[in-house]
Parts: sequence; C-alpha cells; structure tokens
Amino acid sequence: MKNIYSPIGAKIIKIIDETANIKTFTFKRLDNQKFSFNTGQFIELTVFGVGEAPFTPSSSPFETDTIDVTIMKTGRMTEVLHSMKEGDVIGLRGPYGNGYPVEKFNGKEILIIGGGVGLAPLRSLLLTLIATIKNYRKITLNYGAKTPQDVVYKYLFPGWKKISGLEINRSVDKCQEGEWNETTGVVTCLLDNIKIDIRNSVAIVCGPPIMMKFTTLKLLSIGYRSDQIYLSMERNMSCGLGKCGHCQLGSYFICKDGPVFTWEQIKDIQDPFE
Amino acid sequence: MQKIIQYQDFITRLCQIYEEMSSNYNLDIYLPTKDLKYKEVQNKEDIVDISLDSIRMTEPVKTFFFRPKEDLLRYEKENFLQIIVGIKSCDLSAIKVLDAMFLEKGYVDSSYKFFRDRTIIISCDCPKPEKNCFCSLINNTPYPTSGYDLNLEFVDDTRFILSSGSVKGEDLLDKYFLNYDAPTKDDIVKRDNLHILSVQNVKEINKEYLLEHKDDYYRVVKESYDINNIWQEESSTCVQCKGCNFICPSCYCFFIRESSKDFENQYRDRVWDACHSTGYGRVAGGGNSRKYKFQRFRNRYQCKFVYRKDNFNFYACTGCGRCIEVCPGKIDIRKVVKSLTKVITYA
Repeated sequence: MKNIYSPIGAKIIKIIDETANIKTFTFKRLDNQKFSFNTGQFIELTVFGVGEAPFTPSSSPFETDTIDVTIMKTGRMTEVLHSMKEGDVIGLRGPYGNGYPVEKFNGKEILIIGGGVGLAPLRSLLLTLIATIKNYRKITLNYGAKTPQDVVYKYLFPGWKKISGLEINRSVDKCQEGEWNETTGVVTCLLDNIKIDIRNSVAIVCGPPIMMKFTTLKLLSIGYRSDQIYLSMERNMSCGLGKCGHCQLGSYFICKDGPVFTWEQIKDIQDPFE
Repeated sequence: MQKIIQYQDFITRLCQIYEEMSSNYNLDIYLPTKDLKYKEVQNKEDIVDISLDSIRMTEPVKTFFFRPKEDLLRYEKENFLQIIVGIKSCDLSAIKVLDAMFLEKGYVDSSYKFFRDRTIIISCDCPKPEKNCFCSLINNTPYPTSGYDLNLEFVDDTRFILSSGSVKGEDLLDKYFLNYDAPTKDDIVKRDNLHILSVQNVKEINKEYLLEHKDDYYRVVKESYDINNIWQEESSTCVQCKGCNFICPSCYCFFIRESSKDFENQYRDRVWDACHSTGYGRVAGGGNSRKYKFQRFRNRYQCKFVYRKDNFNFYACTGCGRCIEVCPGKIDIRKVVKSLTKVITYA
C-alpha cells in the first residue's frame, strides 16, 4: 500500500521573482512522470528537514510536464524555500481536495476577484478557462494589490488583455503619483461599475481573509445569491487528507471538502474568514 | 457463537493463547488491572488478577493504534500482534470514531491500519460504573454491543458468556473455546438482568445531568454555538493544559513534523495535537481561526457533539469521563452541557 504521507521528489527548474516577497517556482518530477490535478486543488510541498505546507498550483492543469506554484515568503518554511535555487529538490504530495467546478460555469459570465498572492490559484483557473473560452459568455478578472510593486504576473497581463472575451480590471490600494494609471482603491471598488448579468453569473474569490470577507459582502449587496459565490478557503492543512483536524471549518475539513466552497455552504459558520 | 466460561478457565485459555501465539508472533497482551493501568504480559505468570469488573483503564485506548508520537514512514513491526483484554463499551465507541476518521473517511491511514489490523479486542461488560462515567447520557451502554473480536458478559461473579463479533474472534473461539457449553436460557436472563442493573447504576450517577425536556446533546451544543458569553463563562477555569484532548480516547488530531535529511533520506513523524492549543488554528502570516480561549473550548464541544455527528451520525464523545477526571479546572462536560440548556430556547 502506498504511504499517504510520503512525498515524491521534484526539482526546481525555474524561479521567477514576482515581487519583493513572492516567487513563482516551476517544478519537474524526479521520476519524469506527468502531473495531474484539477484547477483549484492543492498540493502539500515539503522543504526537506524544514516543513511541509499546502499551496495551490498556479499553472494550467493542461500543462502536465511541470507545475508552477507561486509562494509568498511569510513563515519559516517559505523563508527557506525562497532561498532555494534551480536544481534543488523538494517534495510534493497530492493533489488534494475539490477544485473549481469548471463544468458548472458553462454558458455563464464569470467574475473573478483576486487579491494579492490570491491571484495564484486564480491564474490556474484563468488559464483553464482561457483554453475553453468559447464555453463562457464572458470572463472578467478583477485584481487588487497593495501597491503597483505588489502586482504578481506583471508579464502576463499584456497577453491576457488581448484575449477577446476576457476583461481585466486592476486596482491598487495606494501608489505614488504617476506610477499607476488604473483604479486606486481596495479591490471591491472595481465591482461598483461592473456590467454583468448577475442572474447568469458566478463569482470566484481568492485573497487574504479580510479581502474575501468584504468581497463576499459586496457581491451579496449587488445581488449575487450565496450559491453563486465561490471562495477558496484556507487553514493550515497539515495532512491534506481529512485526518489531522487542523483545517476544520464547522463540520467541514477544508482539505477534503474544499478548499473551494460556495458561500451558501459556509455562511452559517461564525467568522469563517478568521 | 456463544459459550459459557468460568473466570479460571478464561485465564487458562489466555495462557494457552499466549504460549501458542508467541511462537508465531511478536505478541503483546495487555490486561486490565484494579489500579486502572494496563499490564503488559511479560510471561505466563503475569496472566493473573485480570480486573474485568473495573471501569475503562486510565490510558485512552487510542494509544494502541495511534501513538502519542509515531514514525509515519517506518512504523511496521515484524510479525506484530496485540491482544487487548477488558476494553469497555465506551472505548469501543472511541475505536468506532477513530476507524471512521482513519480508515473510512476517504484516505486510509497506513500506520493506523497497520496496528488496527493486528489487534485482537476482547471486550467486557462494565458492571460498576463510577462517578465520572456518563455513557447513558449519550446513548451508549455500559456493556458492549458491537466493535469487538471477543466479548465477555457477566452472568454472575465467576462466569461469563463469551461471544465472537468478528472473523478473528470466531477463529479464536473455534480454536480455544470449542469444548465449552452454550449458555442456557437462565444464563442469558441473568446476564440481561446485570445489564439492566448496570444501566440503572450509570443513570443514577447521572440523574442531575439529565437534560430538560429529554433534549439531546446535539441540539443543545449546536443551538448555543453563537452565545459567546456562556462559552466564556464555562471556560473560565480552563487553563489550556490540553489534558482533555490528550486523555480523550476519540480525540484524533495530530501534527506532522518533517525532519528528513533530504529526498533520499526521508523522516517524518506525527505527534498528537490539541484543538485547545493556541497555535492549533494558526496559519502562516499570523491569522488564527480560534484566537480566544472560549473559541477553542467551544470547538471541542462542537467537534464531539455536532460536527462529527453531522459527518458520521454518532457522537465523537464516548461518555468515558476521562476529561472530567483530568481537568485541573474542575470542568465537567456534563455540567457544561447542562448549563448550555439555560441559554437556548425551547418551543
């Protein structure tokens, strides 16, 4: 029987500096096998001898030779990961949980709202949707970062802006004069003038907890039903297998029952974003 | 199959089992004692004074399958087999919870399965419930009804009905107890009367904790979730020692510790974790889903009586009373739930 706690080995083949504290790592399996996951599912990444933590791939599931993971330096394990070089070996387990139910989005207007490094899983979703863009009436990506320097995937936006059927709105919380010619303000202000057929739409949100909370409230206030709002929840998924208990959210285990939930599923839980 | 057996004959057969199986297996046998500690059999002479009428041992049964600290990658032991004697109904309920978590809910936990598969459980009636026992309050009985390989039921002071409850148990019964008689109708009546008596005993102990209007723990704990001040009040003497988490036979939470040298030389183990711990809900970046003591305290009740009931349709509390015994803050789970009834509404 395969041990469910044992990771496979993967090599870092490319590192992109996204911002001062965010990097995108590209991994290839040591055994040269292919990766297989659904967009929105997560993996457990091991820095040997240091720790293991959950991340959601930011690459397209159609790309199977390598996998990209965008990671912010925010704790002990990610600190060491950020100091690693191309050629270094890490461990991977997964994929775990349920990803985005992409098949349910057919024929709909898709509103994506991302905050900060929360764009990482949404990039995987966006790449999946772009590959089948004719299936959707319209895709709108609303992305907010703290400052222009904190915007991730700067090099991808020019290409995305050229895709017909994909609209992109961006905001930053604050900026120096003259350094940003798009919207200034928190990401929810991008929803103020949104032109969308809400009844035939789904909204997908990923970002820091406070951003997810206020975005959910905003979406409800402009007329989204709670079952039209998809949220990527996070806790410290330690085992990823629905056993260790760390990611419990009410009766749910985020790792197994999520990480993607509709607001309808979790709205009765006190402070789900805390 | 059922047999009637004398206490002394049970001892003799257990000695025989020990001798014969020790030659094929790396066998551990654990026996219940009067001071509520498991005795590990080192030689045949240790198989005496088995305290079958005691309540559950102090050590939670989970330690036999889910150790406080265990290697996740190299746990296998050659020819391993363990026999645990005298397990009570409450601990069988705990095993039911652990099985659901580790074996049935999605992925199979390899290390838990290894030890669980190599365990023979000989359970026994619990005729003398003590002051912290409350199995009756949560729809449990002081006598086993399922989940054992072999079960011993008192008929009188020296005789038992021995039943099998699994293929493993049936094999043992066939091999070692075939020559004994089946119980008579009279034996069965005596056993049933003792069962009734033990239920009466545990109900008598818990009469002051019965809920109003025959309400149940699920509804009371669920309905009171949002009333923060009652949880603050009830957790006021909690010192966050995590004793209740660790001593609980059905608390299954753990934390994985990664300490490999590199990919080729992997090492990782897990240690018991506790939802009462401040860092339990902490995530990278500093967020914490249960920052305050009352939230962590409340979580344990929600987990036992609501969340796992939603998942499995049975409580993740067994009524064993160990958490009451261990608590330096004198918190009694029965009193807490009873207090919760004061703040919820009745139609």
